[in-house]
Amino acid sequence: MSVVWTVARQLMAECVRMKVAVVFVLLLALLLLGLPFAVQKHGPLTDAVQSFLSYSLSATGLLLGILTVFLARSLADEMVNRQILVVMAKPVPRWQFILGKWVGMNVLNVVFLAFSALVIYGAVYYLRATHPPVDEELDRTRLAEEVLVARQAVQFRLPDFEAMAEREFQRRLEVGAYDDVMDFDAAKERQRLAKRVEAEWRVVGPYEVRVFQFENVLCDRRPESTLQIRYKTEVYNYAPDEVFRAVWWIGDPEQGTPVYECRTRHIVGRYHTVTVPADAVAPDYTLTVRFQNRNPFAGEPQFRNVIEFLSRDGVEVLFGVGTFEGNLLRLLVLMLCKLMFLSAVALLATTLFSFPVACLVAFTIYVLAGTRGFILESLDFASADQAGWFTSAKEFAVHLIRSVYSTVSVILPDFGYYDGVETLVNGRNVTLRWVLEGVVSVGFLRTGCLLGLAMLLFHRREVSEVSV
Amino acid sequence: MARRVLPVVQTAGLCKTFKDFWRRPRVEAVKNLDLEIRPGEVVGLLGPNGSGKTTTIKMLLGLLYPTRGRISLFGKAPTDVAVKSRIGFLPEESYLYRFLGAQETLDHFGRLFRLPTHVRRDRTERLLDMVGLRHQASRPVGEFSKGMARRIGLAQALINDPEFLILDEPTSGLDPIGSRQIKDLVRELGRKGKTILLSSHILADVEDVCNRVVILYGGLERAQGDISALLSQKDRMQLTTPVLTPETLAEVRRLLHEREQADVLHVSHPRDRLEAFFLRIVEEAQAASVGTSGARGGGVVPEFLKKATQADAQEVVESLIAAARQPLPAQVESRRERATGEPIESGREAARAVIDELLGVQPAPAAPEVDEPRLPVEPAPRPAEAPRAAPRADRKVIEELLGGTPPGEGEGPQKEEQP
Ligand SMILES: Nc1ncnc2c1ncn2[C@@H]1O[C@H](COP(=O)(O)OP(=O)(O)O)[C@@H](O)[C@H]1O
Ligand SMILES: [Mg+2]
Repeated sequence: MSVVWTVARQLMAECVRMKVAVVFVLLLALLLLGLPFAVQKHGPLTDAVQSFLSYSLSATGLLLGILTVFLARSLADEMVNRQILVVMAKPVPRWQFILGKWVGMNVLNVVFLAFSALVIYGAVYYLRATHPPVDEELDRTRLAEEVLVARQAVQFRLPDFEAMAEREFQRRLEVGAYDDVMDFDAAKERQRLAKRVEAEWRVVGPYEVRVFQFENVLCDRRPESTLQIRYKTEVYNYAPDEVFRAVWWIGDPEQGTPVYECRTRHIVGRYHTVTVPADAVAPDYTLTVRFQNRNPFAGEPQFRNVIEFLSRDGVEVLFGVGTFEGNLLRLLVLMLCKLMFLSAVALLATTLFSFPVACLVAFTIYVLAGTRGFILESLDFASADQAGWFTSAKEFAVHLIRSVYSTVSVILPDFGYYDGVETLVNGRNVTLRWVLEGVVSVGFLRTGCLLGLAMLLFHRREVSEVSV
Repeated sequence: MARRVLPVVQTAGLCKTFKDFWRRPRVEAVKNLDLEIRPGEVVGLLGPNGSGKTTTIKMLLGLLYPTRGRISLFGKAPTDVAVKSRIGFLPEESYLYRFLGAQETLDHFGRLFRLPTHVRRDRTERLLDMVGLRHQASRPVGEFSKGMARRIGLAQALINDPEFLILDEPTSGLDPIGSRQIKDLVRELGRKGKTILLSSHILADVEDVCNRVVILYGGLERAQGDISALLSQKDRMQLTTPVLTPETLAEVRRLLHEREQADVLHVSHPRDRLEAFFLRIVEEAQAASVGTSGARGGGVVPEFLKKATQADAQEVVESLIAAARQPLPAQVESRRERATGEPIESGREAARAVIDELLGVQPAPAAPEVDEPRLPVEPAPRPAEAPRAAPRADRKVIEELLGGTPPGEGEGPQKEEQP
């Protein structure tokens, strides 16, 4: 192990002495320091902090990704300048040499990541202190409650639409609604009814009330802490100047909790948040939320003023489960896992190719890992319900590309899936489970495979071989 | 050999063919080499550029894999990692990390040998002293001149107190002091029982320090054998005296003719060797403490290197050295003008021709010559190479350089080992 560390130290010394570290810090400063001032110009504090966080974290990830690939240059240089001949004449097992390089690269990654995180963290607090307030108190609470926090989300429990459909079905059966239907298919009718019941349930007509039930709202139930109801609605056929008003009652008097009433006016198609004290949650950690559409009848049938909750956007309850700092830390771990993988890619490519080619390969893989999930999804879509026989050249190509991608995906992690920046920026919890999954799948298994391969190739190679 | 010990290096039928990208054979760098180096030997690997010396060494170290043939290093395969802790290696160019300082470089390699901290510190200090770079210890090696880097390279090769030292053209790029120090060092280490393989195309280096040579040409071994046996001329003698008057000289000739029926072949004033002269000038400058940013002083072999590793190897080496060493300042020298000795292990005529060619020997002139100045430009003391008279222009420059030399001062004293 002492040899691994010696090699790692040498790489770090090189990075520092060759001014890589200094230049990195300067570049990062260039990327990050102007930003707080740039985002101050527009919008409320929360938006400014969110756009700053989102931009700076992505930029740091990109810059560190590039940097870690260039750090593999240490190995390439050593092979070109032949220091490797001296090192390999020492009692240094080759795998330890490669491992040492990798360790060195990733110690630097940790240091750089920590440095960037400190800068970003500092900048957020700077923004918070200096941002020209629109409404000071409101701005700050919003930031604290919706961004600088790690919140867990709970979706409402869907009513049992099938049971409801069954009841309706039985009722219709009794009144003889199906008596004169030809080729009556009960299963199909049940399905149709279930769909209809759900659609009806999601639509809230004028002055109608809808009840949402949440379970496992495992929040801190003291009245000082808060929780948020986040929702988005759709409305069909409304007059352009129509105002949509609604009332929320949050809490369940039957369980003895206070009930908080919130009157809202909202814009269709955008997310809105209602914040209430957390003691609205019942002792068994359930939460009852009632919603009433307060828009009057428009009188005309095409402007019914109904509010619709679409299934994928729904209504969710968000409550704090951790701090922003913890969240940031977990996000950094996820980012580090990617860098660990990338450094293994870079080392593997360097043992195989000359440095420029290795860079090209590593960057391509970087981009590929980022777009992999997306590409596979679109390929899935393109080749969906394929009957096995290729009816056209295009379908064949899609199949071919798909199989190539699925093969590559075995070793290529889905960077898109492990991208937690969006989650952090929205003040959502970067869950420990997710991070551990990333650590095991990206940082451990996939990195290990590539590193092992690099060691194997390097072990078999004649280090004095010259490739021109 | 008193008893058969495990050879340090043993190769059998070693071949290396470099192939191109398409796996087509390109260069046969080493062909069928059988090499054996026994503990305590100082072996010279001699050959012109591109004769496969470096390739052989790289195969010994497992940096290249042989195309055919076997190698054993201390009875192990060259890829065995543990064996490398007994080896010191100075490559043909000092491939060092440019951004590390001299001291850090030695420390780094010491760590690779897993040496404990105090040992590392101690050795680093001593080795820096030895190569005369103590005062440049913190400068990055990238700033060093080639020779200074070479010195660090050498120090690096000794950090683990190796049993077997491989030096690939150790004197290339070194100033005469440096190359002299290296030669002294090799001699010293050889005497202390270390096994050394020294590759070079500079004949004087090899001749001065090795007790056995292997001569490679075009990847083939052409000759190998004991240096003193290869080079000594048993049928001539050399007499060094104070300046004689013409009468005395005539008397000596007459006496010789009467007693031995022999003629004096050659009469001249012995010249200072350029090496000895140069060393003296530098020593004077150092005594007057003229500042330099280059290498300074050094040459003291650190104590830790002197430990004999094998007691019986020691004896063998002592005896080998005794046989090889020429007492240079002595009054009578056996005079060696051309290699008349047959190579011990290969008596082939072809081999002789190659050696002659390598050594640049012309047939000795039959007539006695008087006062032919011999000016080996390289620090090559032995008359073996002398008959190659330097070109006239060069000679003038050198004459000028040597202008202040008092004639007849005799050979510069060959630096004897420190007690
Ligand atoms: N890595 C290599 N690839 C191809 N040819 C090589 C390589 N290394 C050495 N050679 C060739 O092998 C021959 C011997 O080289 P080398 O052992 O370096 O000679 P030297 O005796 O000067 O050290 C030369 O012709 C050289 O061109
Ligand atoms: Mg060479």
